[in-house]
Amino acid sequence: MAATPVMTNPVRFAPVGATRWLRFGRGTTIWLLLAPAGLFLALLFVVPIGYVLVLSVTDPTVSLNHFRRIVTVPLYTSVMLNTFRTSLIVTLTCLFLGYPFAYVMARRNDVVSLILLIIVGMSFWTGFVVRTYAWLVILGNRGPVVAAFGALGLGKPPQLLFTSFSSTLGMTHILLPYMVLALYGVMKKIDVGLLRAAASLGARPNRAFREVFLPQSLPGVVNGSVLVFTICLGFYVTPILLGTPKDMMISQLINQQIEELLAWGFASALAVVLLVATTTLLVVYNRFVGLDRLWG
Amino acid sequence: MIPLGLAISVAIFLIAPILIIVPMSFSTSISFAFPPPAYWLGYYRAYFSNPEWLIPTANSFIVAFSTMLVTMLLVLPACFAFVRNRFAGKGLVNQLFLLPLIVPQVVSALGYYGFLSRLRIVGTHLGLIVAHTALAMPVSFLVICAALKGYDRNLERAAMSAGAGPLRTFLWVTLPVLRPGILVAALFAFLQSFNEAVVAIFISGRDAATLPKKMFESIRLESDPIIAVVSSLLTGAVLLGVVIPLLFRRKTGRAT
Repeated sequence: MAATPVMTNPVRFAPVGATRWLRFGRGTTIWLLLAPAGLFLALLFVVPIGYVLVLSVTDPTVSLNHFRRIVTVPLYTSVMLNTFRTSLIVTLTCLFLGYPFAYVMARRNDVVSLILLIIVGMSFWTGFVVRTYAWLVILGNRGPVVAAFGALGLGKPPQLLFTSFSSTLGMTHILLPYMVLALYGVMKKIDVGLLRAAASLGARPNRAFREVFLPQSLPGVVNGSVLVFTICLGFYVTPILLGTPKDMMISQLINQQIEELLAWGFASALAVVLLVATTTLLVVYNRFVGLDRLWG
Repeated sequence: MIPLGLAISVAIFLIAPILIIVPMSFSTSISFAFPPPAYWLGYYRAYFSNPEWLIPTANSFIVAFSTMLVTMLLVLPACFAFVRNRFAGKGLVNQLFLLPLIVPQVVSALGYYGFLSRLRIVGTHLGLIVAHTALAMPVSFLVICAALKGYDRNLERAAMSAGAGPLRTFLWVTLPVLRPGILVAALFAFLQSFNEAVVAIFISGRDAATLPKKMFESIRLESDPIIAVVSSLLTGAVLLGVVIPLLFRRKTGRAT
């Protein structure tokens, strides 16, 4: 064809120069572009975290005493245990509530799924403090739950606020959107054709779900659970506002050590324990799945 | 049918607590009473005329906006270098960039308190912007990298072959194509900072206190009815922020 030389010539020449420039050369240029962000994080994030590590073994004196106390004093071991148990309960509850929700959101493609999406989005972007405050109102002495008990003639309900129940409920409510979005991200990618194929081969809906959909949604279950569990371990705002000092979580203990006792060294040691627990979990996750996948 | 019923119940569980605050904010009651005894606009007036609340509001906007700018300036070039090249230490760089997401917020907060008080910038906007930028970087990094990975380099080659120089190609082809990803990343950075409570509680002090910190404090100390007003305003803003893009997307029919 007559037109071909005109069309191909520039295309053949251009990419060489183009790609080279757009890759910003090699070596030094790569690092020049990475340097501002990299140095920022190294100096203004890694160093402060390092400061906590240092403080945990040097304040007030150089020793491992803080860590010894954490593992030997029954009060502190019970806080660790309680943190772990509460996080597990919150994670499982989120999974139980989030799975059907994400399932409906992913499988339907109508106004219902749109409304569900708006609700999750709103819930996700409303700050922790606002949602914690909402539970203070709902479970409070003059709130709707107490009013409903009265209206039904049931008298006074048991103490709801400032218990481990209210704190667990609040955290579940706040972390549920994370679980839903993690599940939804995976479920949305499951090929609907496979479910139809299963049905056409005679599988009842239940069986098609169990043998086709459920196994393929498991990566979402893992992502959501890891995400919720790790956030929950170090949850600060909600346990402090809704919980009780009787069933402390680790962040409440950290808060107490700082506010009431000014014990920075011990608080730092607690933070280190929290950091190690979270990192261990994520290192394992990284090994099997890859950290990049966690946030979808 | 069963999953749908469950999903709707869960949806109510998610949204009802947030919506319940709105009637509360019009309540005449001083404490957190629901249902409200009567309605008025008094606490809205109180909010809009009370510096105790307006200053934290302004602080939140200043810090969130600056965080967004600094984050984008740092992350954008890094993403280009990161996605478009293979180099030794890439895995390490990736882990460094995700680190603030891995470290529990209380731990970061504690670290920043100690570190920034050494630098004497605890309780300043600057200190808060530094901390929030570090915390906002991972998500912005992930979003922009994802956008860059899905970007067709042939567009650049085409522009170049049609005679555009490198700068022109970047400004007229690369940036516009990546704009949705960049905007989403910027929005995330802004909201991350605007909503962030834990680090702010530790380091913002009195002068640089942000809204979440102010709310946290006043929930603990007194039951200031203005909290309901602030919460309602924030909920309204979030509603607009979530619904408008969805409607817009429906109309233009784009899939992002």
